[in-house]
Amino acid sequence: MRYLAAFGLALALVVSAPVAHAEPHVQASAEFIDNLADRAIETLTDNGLDSRMRRDKFRELFREGFAVNGIARFVLGRYWRRASDSERDEYLNLFEEVIVNTWADRFSQYSGQKFEVNGAVPAPSASDSENVALVQSRFFTDPTTPVRIEWRVASRGNLYKIVDVSVEGISMASTQRDEFNAVIRKGGGKIDALLDELRDRAGG
Amino acid sequence: MSNSVSGFKSLRFAVALTLMGVLSACTTPPSGDADARAAYEEANDPFEPANRLVFSANVMVDQLVLQPAAVTYRDLFPDALKPPVQNFFTNLFMPLSFIHAMLQGDTDRAEQAAARFFTALPTLLLANTMPEQDPVFEDGGQTLAVWGFEEGPYVMLPLLGPSSVRDTTGTIADFFLDPVGWLLSTEASIGRAAANATLTRSRNLEQVRDLQANSLDYYAAVRSLYRQQREALIRNGASEPIQPAPTIGLELDEPPAGPENKETAAGN
Repeated sequence: MRYLAAFGLALALVVSAPVAHAEPHVQASAEFIDNLADRAIETLTDNGLDSRMRRDKFRELFREGFAVNGIARFVLGRYWRRASDSERDEYLNLFEEVIVNTWADRFSQYSGQKFEVNGAVPAPSASDSENVALVQSRFFTDPTTPVRIEWRVASRGNLYKIVDVSVEGISMASTQRDEFNAVIRKGGGKIDALLDELRDRAGG
Repeated sequence: MSNSVSGFKSLRFAVALTLMGVLSACTTPPSGDADARAAYEEANDPFEPANRLVFSANVMVDQLVLQPAAVTYRDLFPDALKPPVQNFFTNLFMPLSFIHAMLQGDTDRAEQAAARFFTALPTLLLANTMPEQDPVFEDGGQTLAVWGFEEGPYVMLPLLGPSSVRDTTGTIADFFLDPVGWLLSTEASIGRAAANATLTRSRNLEQVRDLQANSLDYYAAVRSLYRQQREALIRNGASEPIQPAPTIGLELDEPPAGPENKETAAGN
């Protein structure tokens, strides 16, 4: 009987061990998203905020929470290699500016919809020094049909950053990349065609 | 009954003919520049000039007909009746979903489609907003994908919107496969399609307006969204663990540790 209990205990340990120790970055990634979303809702949805202040606060959170430059480089695709240093610098600035302009204003339309993190799973990482987790969440635009949002979080040590966001299976980074590439292609393969468009949008 | 089938046949034939006419005007791939060539292949849209033309016509029809209809439905139709109406039309997809889940060898999803069809019947009458079983959407294009057919070039269909060669084939097949279509007259089928279009459009009015306002190239954005949405449907909503290459890493976004950080950002 004691053997049986010991065996049961050992089995329980063996079975539960991989779960309990399952890569701490996965759980930490889920907490990271939960925390970031709380702060975003808290700081960005205040109705007393004017649009300039909202943008500043959004920019702060965006830089902290997202791998902005990594995403920007991915979005430029093959044209990143071709871009000169000054083109890259301008592009990185404009990319951030345009995202801040479009997204900060979207937060002004927030009116108390529920957001919840449902869990996280590890995902393969291309780099040995980085971990990747997919954090699943739901955003209730209306009570019966939540929107499924998945956050791809890369981490290294204590550094956690979002590298992509998927809404109902549609990746924001991929969409942006396809679109930017189309603009450059239409402009005869010149990065300046894209920079022109971005300059227009960043001004607004 | 046979009348409605032949009605479909001639309708599909007309669409196919228009399509072929439109498709014959296509781009020539760029030669020389490897990057231009790679970008062209990645877009997988050899009919882009014709597609863009059809797209602008579709956008016009949307602005003139579909969007006003969707706004009217959203604003004037009683809110309490919207869920049962949506459930009714969603439910009509389930027999086709069932057939395709079976064709894909996915008995679980076939069972779910059948369960949804039968559980939604009483909820229609009781106006229950939340049938217990989520709907299942399987169609000809998804089945062809599961069977291993390539997506093929992007195609913008008149009125029907974004598609691919594979999905167009699936759409044509579904006109014949859909059991609900057998039961309906041609007029009723067209009415059903119009209702579905209006319902869908009424749910994405804001998103479409946002996309039109914020995208740098609306056509390219729709193309990208369409493809990704189809891929998500083919995966049945499962998340995609592998990130498209090249992966997005942290190396450009680490806190500034020292002056060498800037160089990493410039390199690569």
